Amino acid sequence: MIAIIVLADSAGDVLLTKGMRQVGEVSTFAPRELLAIARKAIRNHHFLASIVFMVMHFVGFLAVLSWADLSVVFPATTLVYVLGTLTAKFILQETISMHRWAGTMLVCLGVGLVSLP
Amino acid sequence: MKQMWTERVRIIALLAIAIVSQAVGNVLLSQGMKLIAGLSQLTWSNWVAIFLQAVQSPSIMLGVGFYVIFFVLFAAALSRADLSFVLPAISSEVVINVAFADCFLNETVSSIRWIGALLISIGVGLVVRSSPRTFGIASGQDTMAEGGR
Repeated sequence: MIAIIVLADSAGDVLLTKGMRQVGEVSTFAPRELLAIARKAIRNHHFLASIVFMVMHFVGFLAVLSWADLSVVFPATTLVYVLGTLTAKFILQETISMHRWAGTMLVCLGVGLVSLP
Repeated sequence: MKQMWTERVRIIALLAIAIVSQAVGNVLLSQGMKLIAGLSQLTWSNWVAIFLQAVQSPSIMLGVGFYVIFFVLFAAALSRADLSFVLPAISSEVVINVAFADCFLNETVSSIRWIGALLISIGVGLVVRSSPRTFGIASGQDTMAEGGR
């Protein structure tokens, strides 16, 4: 179940990123342009699919919490950072510098420590 | 170079607002969920009743509202920055949660948790130092070409 949550979260992130890059940069606060971007977003298949995965992630997270302790579930979800960074590298063609890897690993370790009982 | 810095500051500001809305949303959601009795025994037969109770709870609906704000800002940030930049940066929410627990919820925060929060802060600091956007640069073409501005 935790695997499903982590996979759903990562899939949602990647699809959302893909979708938003197709929709275009949000670089304005003009309401009319924001509305146009939103309209484009809700017609984008990647964007819509990402919402489905995010809802799946959210429902799965709540369900797991009802039978497992947060201190068990939360450290496991740090895998999202590793998986997210890997998918960003291989699917989204981002360049991950050593700094970024080191930072991401520290974040994982930190979240693990924070969620210890 | 200067342009890259202003872009970085913009993205960080966007993420900061997103993180705060998520943290507020979390507090409201957990507050609301605790008010709904018998949630610990979530079973297939009573989830409809729990759902109906949740929809009627103002703090849960407000929490969901903050989550929507978070999602919109998250999506906006991803339209111009790397996922591998945004994802670790968002985790500073955990640090805020630890601080909230200490300040507002009167929970005792163990030193291990503070060390964890410190590690997250250093990690986020490292990630934020790297360039926020690497996609579309390596191939030499602007992936945003078809994006409407």
